[in-house]
Parts: sequence; structure tokens; C-alpha cells
Amino acid sequence: MSISQSNRTRTSIRALQVIMIGMMLVVFGRVFYLQIIEYDVYAALGQENSVRQEYVDAARGLIYDRDGRLIVDNEPIYSITITPSLFDKDKLPLLADILNVSDSLLTARVQEAQRYSWYRTSRLITEIDFERFSAIQENLWQLPGIGHQIESKRHYPTDINGSHLFGYLREASEAEYQNSDRLKLGDKVGKSGLEMIYEDTLRGDDGVKYLRVNALGQAISNFEDTTLSQPPVQGTDIFTTIDTELQVLAEELMEGKKGALVAMDPKTGGVLAMVSAPDYDLQKLAGRLDSDYWQAINADTLTPLYNRAISGRQPPGSTFKPIMGLIGLHLGFIDSTTTVYNSGAYMRGRPYRDTAPIGDYNLENAIANSSNTFFFSLMDQIATNGYLNEWSSLVKDLGVGVTNPIDLPYASNGIVPDSTYLNRVFGENQWGVGDVMSMGIGQGLLSLSPLQVAQMTSVIANGGYRVQPHIVKATRMPSGKVIEKDPQLHKVEWITDENLGVVRAGMRKVVSEGPSRYYTNNPEVPTAGKTGTAQNPHGRDHGWFTSFAPYDDPQIVVSVLIENGGYGSISAAPVAAVLIEKYIEGEISRNYVYNYVLNFESRPTDSELIDNE
Amino acid sequence: MNNVREFSWSVFFTWMILAVIGLIAIYSATQGPVSQFLAEYIQDNFIKQVVWVIISLFVLISIQFISPRAFIQLSYLAYGVGIILMILTLMFGTEINGAKSWLRIGPANLQPSELMKIATILAAANYLTSRRDISADNVRYALIAVTIILIPASLVLMQNDLGTALIFLSLIPVMLFWSGLPYGVSLFIISPAVIAYLAVIEWYYGLVAAILLTALIFFIQRRVWLTVTSFVTGFLTVSGVQVAMNQLLQPHQIARIAAFTNPNYDPTGAGWNVLQAKTAIGSGGLTGKGFLEGTQTQLKFLPEQWTDFIFCVIGEEFGFIGSTIVILTFTFLFVRLLNMAGNHKHPFAQLVTVSFTSVYFIHFFINVGSASALLPVIGLPLPFISYGGSAFLTNTIMLAICLNMDFHKREFSIYR
Repeated sequence: MSISQSNRTRTSIRALQVIMIGMMLVVFGRVFYLQIIEYDVYAALGQENSVRQEYVDAARGLIYDRDGRLIVDNEPIYSITITPSLFDKDKLPLLADILNVSDSLLTARVQEAQRYSWYRTSRLITEIDFERFSAIQENLWQLPGIGHQIESKRHYPTDINGSHLFGYLREASEAEYQNSDRLKLGDKVGKSGLEMIYEDTLRGDDGVKYLRVNALGQAISNFEDTTLSQPPVQGTDIFTTIDTELQVLAEELMEGKKGALVAMDPKTGGVLAMVSAPDYDLQKLAGRLDSDYWQAINADTLTPLYNRAISGRQPPGSTFKPIMGLIGLHLGFIDSTTTVYNSGAYMRGRPYRDTAPIGDYNLENAIANSSNTFFFSLMDQIATNGYLNEWSSLVKDLGVGVTNPIDLPYASNGIVPDSTYLNRVFGENQWGVGDVMSMGIGQGLLSLSPLQVAQMTSVIANGGYRVQPHIVKATRMPSGKVIEKDPQLHKVEWITDENLGVVRAGMRKVVSEGPSRYYTNNPEVPTAGKTGTAQNPHGRDHGWFTSFAPYDDPQIVVSVLIENGGYGSISAAPVAAVLIEKYIEGEISRNYVYNYVLNFESRPTDSELIDNE
Repeated sequence: MNNVREFSWSVFFTWMILAVIGLIAIYSATQGPVSQFLAEYIQDNFIKQVVWVIISLFVLISIQFISPRAFIQLSYLAYGVGIILMILTLMFGTEINGAKSWLRIGPANLQPSELMKIATILAAANYLTSRRDISADNVRYALIAVTIILIPASLVLMQNDLGTALIFLSLIPVMLFWSGLPYGVSLFIISPAVIAYLAVIEWYYGLVAAILLTALIFFIQRRVWLTVTSFVTGFLTVSGVQVAMNQLLQPHQIARIAAFTNPNYDPTGAGWNVLQAKTAIGSGGLTGKGFLEGTQTQLKFLPEQWTDFIFCVIGEEFGFIGSTIVILTFTFLFVRLLNMAGNHKHPFAQLVTVSFTSVYFIHFFINVGSASALLPVIGLPLPFISYGGSAFLTNTIMLAICLNMDFHKREFSIYR
């Protein structure tokens, strides 16, 4: 071996050793960088990786009727979830087979989930039956990225549909869940009815649990650190004033009609039944959204989503006349003996028609026969003596035309005009006595919801107390603690028993002697009420009837509006009569009224016939 | 028989330390608390590796009784048999993880390409050392030696085992350099790899490297044609990488490269392994999470963590201290083996020892480099530590040959 070779060998060995040690230093430096300098970054990443946070849905609060009967509860539904990043596309046919859906549908669903998030778990198929759910569970090991969860949907154990009462749930919008620390994406929140108003009460607090997962997302065990996890807190139960049997009957009676109905306990303001017709099938909106149905009820020109009972604003028509009587007596423009002659019309620049029989009317008979002349005359005096604003504020004392909200969303305040309002609508002093006078018979700009008509009637029924309408009377916390909501009754100071007696007598005569007597005059249940027929510029007149019973000790107020029903005495009054009988007697013995209501078809009123001629 | 005190016990113990570290890591990766989620054949890996270690120990000891001359005499025969085995594997082999590299012999799956590394090195070394030194002007010998290496390399590539093919290719500059290829030319041969690596990250890094390397080659060799060729090659490499990345490569291949240069790119797709590997190592910190306590490891966030990503297991569970022990042990092994090579009088022994050391080193560098995201993910096991019977046996035989030639070095020099 030559010297030069030997030198070269030594040099080469050194060179190789230097290169290798140099590269080892690079590796060492890299490891030092990752493990020492960047430790915090990767330690956090490691945590996120292996510990998965899972929400435990809290059970939504239950809803009970006035007798403690369960009317809204929860029912489990089984859902299949997917985490797209972990899903193996080759397993799609297998999954489709187990779920018994087509490959193309499943592909579309998977793509939808991918668009939403590649990493986050989203629902793939909801509301599958238990059999398929079990099949998925068994095959979970060969379906990476697929998970399952048990959720719940609203269930309605009674025959109550209650679409406007309970309301429906929908997934929270992005704005909603971002503004709330209780909501997360995909959570359902109440979008109407009690579910909406009592959302914060009914919704419990979701629990959190931590699971250790492997790279396939399979849960391996609960995370040891239990201090982090929180058990779910179930929602607060609510007890309503709803009378289940009455509500079911009310819904049946309003079937196929357009309008609204409110039955109220005049002693508390608690709503016994409430219907807005047409309604929609709440069951169909409970679970997986049936988008065809959803679009259909949204597009329906009869607006089934709209709650006519509280959001509607209609002239109350003659149902307002008893209140007019009370105001007239209080202001002293009339007394119980004052008579006004009806000649077929009230003359004030032009004739204002009155269809009541010609003759003299005192207040009691004017209410009983619904003579317009008496109330035109009274309103004329109120207006010309400068008592319009006083009139407006007296009406508002009853809780109508002002904010006196029921615990349902989108309740209308109604309109009880005063001079400021009329100035705003017609222009400064551009309105005349005619605009004011028509309000005396519940027409013109005066408009109230069926609920407010019931409120107004409750004041007459309960001896002059303003009621706070409500549906929920108590809540029960998860701890079992029950919080009663006090019914708020306020005496309306200007209403005297003496004045009330006159008005009530008139209302009693409406029922026993008026045109609705065939349906409403039930000898077993002495009832008082007032019909109304509100002129409707868009079509057939709206029929009104508001009533209370029993006459001596009123326990129920029923107000009914049948839109385009024609005369209130034949459209709305029979509905109220059946409900009152049911509520007071417990059963319906007068089947002819019941059958009449079910088969009701509206007929034109005289004024319409005249207009048409 | 020589005095057993002349046996390099330090290297032998290094081998044992690495084997034990490997068994601990494989146990953790396949027998942890939640290993029931793993396939059954993977759960068997630990016990299989124990068996392989014991077999390898006997092989290592047995080889010490062979005369080192046998390695020279048998080199061509081993090479021929190896090539036949490789061809048989291509025809009848079993495919595991996409590579058709396994030949089923009785109860064991043999990976002929592993043993082929030994045969190739022995054959090429025998050929090169039986000729005169290669000079810059006479490259005929060099070309024949390159052919000896390229034949098995291409067979490995046909088996779809890119990592092992890279090992074969990397033997070319090492062995030629050792056989007298001028430094400048050796540098020129490896320069495209360095330039390409940098060009993948940023094209101008590659260009700067090409210019610097060309200048270095000119400085060492002072040959105009070599300098010009070097620069042209460098420039072509940079442009080639650009064309490949923008025109030739499939989207998933580009994604893999992009994931390497930007690990946060597509963290659940191509970047998954890179990110998970870094997370495993990084979250180990100074002292690690403890044996069987590594969340990344135990929860199987890494594929192939008993082979290609085994360094992550060590890094996560034993932390910086564990990683350092592994790095230092390997460094000691490399330095010690190279010293051994330097002490040899016989060029065959020198070349074989250096080549074997290089094989270990490249495995180590690529494996740990991949795991720590220093390099794109190339599937190569970590010598003596990763699971894999054939690889462990091959690595042990290579070490045994080095030990044998060192143990018998006086006998060897007399023979010459």
C-alpha cells in the first residue's frame, strides 16, 4: 500500500467522519428544535389530537297542560354521523347497503358533509330506525370516520296539534349560535310559539365529556381528567294553562276554516285553548326537515305559519259595543235608561246604516240587538265633546291596544286610535267625525287580535279586572323547584259593578234572544256574548263572537273570529257555544251544533248582497 | 482463533443497546394499552422481532468464526444468487404496503433486497479493489462497478421499493470515492441530489447551491470541463425540478412534496404523516411522556410507527433525552466503524466497512429526517430499531462482517 494511498485513506476517513458527525448534528439540532423549542406548540397539538371533546345533549324541558298532563316531550332519534377526513370512500357501497339508501344519495350526503367541514363531525343521516342503527353499530369497526349518536326530537303525546301554541324547532342560524355561548352549530332552537319564547328555559345546558380517541376517531376511554367534563343540565319543564281536551276540540272545530279562537280563564288570564286556522302539522317539522312540506306551508297563501289568534289585527266589529257601553256610562253621556231611536240609519252628514229593527233602544237592548245608531250617537258625543283621547285611554285600560304581551312571539298590540294616531294616519286634522264614529261600532281604524277581544271580554266577565294573558303558569327547575307565575289582575278603577250589570244583561240577551240563539242559547249553561260582523274590504265579512259562561260565575271566555265567515252569529257563535258546553258540562250533548260547526259553509251577509246589487 | 479481547466489544454492545431500544419501541407501538385496535398480525410484531433478534445474535456470533477471505471468495456467488432471488421475488413475491419485496420461505417472509445489499457491496468491493485505482481519466472500472450496483437497484425499483433503491444508488458515490475517484468528481456525482433537494423547497436555493458547488468543484479539481459540466448539470437539475413539479408530477405527488415544504398544507391528507410525526416528537419534550404513555403513539396517529416512524415513538415517550441517546449511540457506532475501516490494511475490508457504515448512516439520516420532517417521507427503517426481521438480520450480518474483518484483521493482511 503506497504512502499516498494511506494518506488518502486517513483523509477520507476523517472527511467521512466529519460529514457524518455534521449531519448527525443537523438531526440533533432538528430534534432539539422540535422537542425543546417548539415543545409548547406540539404539546398542545398532541392534546387536541388525542382528546376529543364531545357534547352531551341536555334533554329539552317538557310541557304540561293545566292538569299536569304531558303534552310535549322528547323522543330519541338515531343519527349516523361522518367525519369526512377519516372516511374511507371505498366503504361507501357497504355503508349504503347497511343504511339501505342508494349510493348516489349517500355520495351526495357525504359531499355535503365535506363541504361543511373536512374535519368536523356532521350528521350524515338522521332518524334512522333502530334496526339500521344497530347494524351500523355492529359494523362501525370497518367504517372509519362513521359514528352514531342518539339525539332527541319533540314528540307530542296527545291529540293536540298545537302548531301555533308550541311552535317548531329549527337548527340555529349562524348568527344565533355565534351570539350565544350555549348554542353550537346544528343545535335546534325554538323558532315560534312557546318553544321560542321559553327557549332559554326549555333548553338545558349541554354537558361536555372528553374522550380519548385514536386516529380512526374511535373512542377508547373517557379522559381521566373528569374535572373538565360537565354533566348536562336538563331543561326546565313548563306547566301551561292549556286544557288538553278543549284544545283538541277547538282544533277540530276550526279545521277547514280560516280564523282564530281563544279560550281564556277570565279569573286568571290563562289561555285554555288557542287555535289559528289553518295550522300546520307540527309532527312533520319535529325531526328531519321535510323540505317539501316546509316549502309548501311557506308558500301557502292561507299563511298557516301566521298566528292569527295573537298576531292578527282585525276590526272587532260589534263585539266592541259592550265596552262602548261601559265607557258611555262612565263618561256620563248615557245612563242605563237613555234611549236612542233607530230609524234605519244614523244621520250625520250622511246616513250611517243600522240593520237593527226600527225603534227605541236603551243600552241593554242596543247591545242585545246590535243597534249601530245607539253607538254612533254615543261615539259622536264622545268625539264632539273632545273625549276621543279619554276614550282611547279608557279602552287601553283594559289591556288592549297597548303592550300587554302574552308569552308567545309576535303578539300584536292592536290599535286603539287617539287623535295623535289619526293625525299620523290621515294627516293633521284631515280626519272627520265619521272616521271616529265608525270606531264606536268596532270598525274603522280600531283593530284588535282575537286574543285582545278575549281579554276585553274577560274584564266584563270577571267584574272589571284587567287580565294578563298567559299560557305558562309555572316552571319546574331541574332541581324540582317549582316557580309559580302569579296571575296579575288589576282592577280597572272606572268600571263599576252597576255599569257592568247593564252591559252583561245586554250580552245575555244576545245569546238568548239574538240571531245566534239557536246555537248559543244552551239552557244548561247560561251564556253571555256578543256577535260581530266586521266589514272586510278584501272579501266576505269576518264573523266574530265573544262570550263568557256561566253567566253568574264566569269560568271561561271564548272569542272566535271566522275570517270571511259572514255573520258572526252563524259562523263564530256556534264554535264558541260548543266549546263552552264542553268546558262547563264536560261533554257535548247538543250534537246538532257540533255537526253544524264541522260542516259549516259561509254565506254572504245582507250588506254584501246590497253592495253586489 | 484470536484473542477474544481483540474483539470489538464496544460495537457489539452498541448493537445490543440498539436492539433493546428497538424492542422497547416496538413493544410500545404494538402492545400498548389500546393495541386491540391493531390488526392481529401487527400485534405479533413484537414477539416476532424478539425471535429475529435471537436468531441474529447466533448469526452474529457464528460469523465471527468464518475466515474473512470467505467474503471475497463468495462475493460474486452471493451476488448471483441474490439477483436470482430478486427476480423470483418479482415473479412470486408477496406485496406488503405496495412493495412486492417479500418472498415467502416456510414460516418467514424474507426480503431478498435486504440481503442483496450485502451481496452487492461485497461484489462491487471485490471488483473495485481487485483493479487499480480509478482515476478521473479512466472511468471504465467505475462504469462496471456502477453497473454492478445498478442491476439490483433497478430490480428493487421494479419491486416498487423506492427507499431501498435509494440506498443502492447512494452506494455509487461512496464506493467510487473510496476507490480513488477524485474528490471533485465525487462531489459532482452527489451534487444533483443536494441541488434537487434545495430546489424542491425554493428554486433559487437550488440555483445558489449549484453555483456554490460548482465553485467548490473548480477549486478542488481545477478542471474546466468538469466545472462546466457541473454547472450545466446543476442548472438542468433546478429546471428539471421545476418542470417536474409544474408539468410532470401527478397532483398527489405534488401534494406530498408540498406537504413536506409546508407541513400545514392539507393536515389530514398528504401532510398528515408529517404533522403527526412532528407532533409526536415535539410533544415528547425533554423527558417524554413515559413508556406506553405517548398519546400519539398509543392512539395510532402514525401509520407504520413500528417501522418508518419508530423514531417518533422514542421521541414521544422518552423525549429529548431518549432521542439524544439514540442519536449518540448511532454517532458512536458510525465513528467507531469508520475508525475500524481506517485501521484496515486491506482495501476490500476498508471499502466494505465504509460502505456498510454508509448504508447504516443513510438509513438513519433518511428515517430520522423523515420522522422529524427534515426530509420528505421516504419509507426506510431505522437500523436495528425498526421492526423487520430481514432488515434486522441483514443489518446484523453487515455488522458481523465488519466485526469479523476487524477481529481477523492480522490474518487478513497476511493473506494479502
